[in-house]
Amino acid sequence: MMDDGHEPEWRIIGKSVQGASHVRTGLPNQDAICWLPESGTGLPLVLAVSDGHGSAKCFRSDVGARLAVETTTKVIQEFLESLPEPPNLSTIKRWAEENLRREIVRRWRDAVADDLSAKPFTSAELEQADAKVGGSKRRQVVPDPILAYGATLLTVVVAEPFILYLQLGDGDILTISEMGEVGRPPLPADERLFANETTSLCSRDAWRDFRSHFQVLSGPPPALILVSTDGYANSFRNEADFLIVGADILEMIRSDGLDAVDERLQTWLTEASQEGSGDDITLGILCRVDALKIPAGRVPAEQLPCMEEAAAGESENPTKPLSERRAEKPQDAASEEETV
Amino acid sequence: MKKRPGGELATRPLHFIWIADCSGSMAVDGKVQSLNYAIRNAIPDMRKVADENPNAEVLVRAIRFSSGAQWHISQPTPVADFEWTDLTADGVTDMGKALSMVADQLKIPPMTDRALPPVLVLISDGQPTDDFKSGLKALMDQPWGKKAVRIAIAIGEDADDEVLQEFIGHPELKPLQANNSESLVKYIKWVSTAVLKSASSPASQAADSSSLVVNVPIPAVPDTGPSSANDVW
Repeated sequence: MMDDGHEPEWRIIGKSVQGASHVRTGLPNQDAICWLPESGTGLPLVLAVSDGHGSAKCFRSDVGARLAVETTTKVIQEFLESLPEPPNLSTIKRWAEENLRREIVRRWRDAVADDLSAKPFTSAELEQADAKVGGSKRRQVVPDPILAYGATLLTVVVAEPFILYLQLGDGDILTISEMGEVGRPPLPADERLFANETTSLCSRDAWRDFRSHFQVLSGPPPALILVSTDGYANSFRNEADFLIVGADILEMIRSDGLDAVDERLQTWLTEASQEGSGDDITLGILCRVDALKIPAGRVPAEQLPCMEEAAAGESENPTKPLSERRAEKPQDAASEEETV
Repeated sequence: MKKRPGGELATRPLHFIWIADCSGSMAVDGKVQSLNYAIRNAIPDMRKVADENPNAEVLVRAIRFSSGAQWHISQPTPVADFEWTDLTADGVTDMGKALSMVADQLKIPPMTDRALPPVLVLISDGQPTDDFKSGLKALMDQPWGKKAVRIAIAIGEDADDEVLQEFIGHPELKPLQANNSESLVKYIKWVSTAVLKSASSPASQAADSSSLVVNVPIPAVPDTGPSSANDVW
């Protein structure tokens, strides 16, 4: 719970852009983003981002990604709305760790089946898949058409007493503290997320491949949570250059406002794809509004010089790796956390 | 306000490595001369393919093996600056040593995990004379070794197809058999263009530990026709 007792205000903004290489080849954006409530304000908030694989045999992965974010946000919202007041955290945690994953995969597969039933594969789609990779891939898709819809899924749920991070496949979730420290939720490592391979909603027993972290809040939540498809991180020279995004966006929101940042997202992401990976890029930002003001009394006086120094350091040396500072100062130390 | 968030943007590196047999037998019947010609001849097409995808930074180098192995072009060289220096042939066929040296270069670091899958092209006309299996194991122990696009070209009938097939590591992909200069040129051009193009913008795909997966689609291999009187190797 928040220590000052009032319900914090949160907002979501986000954008998804077609990758530069997909612009060249005419492949539509394979990413999708969705949040509930649609207003993007209040609590609880649910954000989902998905990256359709876009390979020849995944020729409907743009639809698969859209269905992934739509069904996931709906499944989570329905569950949250069904909870009694006050919510029981143990119940939520158990649901997040056990039933939610199965339910997301089940509902996504149902949505895919509905789409396929309404729009069966055309010979043009199958011929195009054949032309790209040869007959053997077509043989893989036809017996298991769900492969054509393959996509990843990243979801964050922010409620007053907890935050849930849920990830299937590649992509990035960053947390940024009020001090501008950038971290990642402690999701278990997955060695399969390497090269261009990823775990996927279309895999057999996909629910087993989810990684999650349930954070019961007992201290200040992150000021920002960034959720992005892998095309964004892959557009930077290295991990340190990518992590700088977190502190920079916090600083930009503080200086110019959330709406101004929202307006610029499209340009930033398009530029990142053009000069970087060429991949589609999607970025969702969950923002705790009261953290933007840095209210007096929230930060102990002796820490204020450090905060000013950190902010000055950012503007003077924007490529300075944040990982060093992160290592010195653990984030959200006061919260009770569990990773699954 | 800073122009955009984050540090330096960068395209993704794509390492392309020629692994060339320079044993004494490559000096017979003009094999090494044909190989030099084929690679040099393919450079303009390679540059064109690289230009078509500015989001991949194609970096080329070459290693030779005979008695031991040495980096022939050791620096990952942007394809725009890549020039071919002729190989010469003598000695035995220490292929395993070359693979273990390539494995060293595929470690992270110096590689980064944001790279595109590397392309490794092994060209040989004979049988390894050293511990090939150790070299291959060293290569496949590296994550980027496992995920590399591995193409093999057999020059002449004496090449060890079994060894080259082990290097490829996928039952549906076979070593390309070049029995004359013309077919060697075609294969080298194919790998420098069609394979490079495919590797430079690979789509994501579902990881599947239950079957052998080629993580980059391999384009159709050029038809070099049936065996003919032109075959000299």
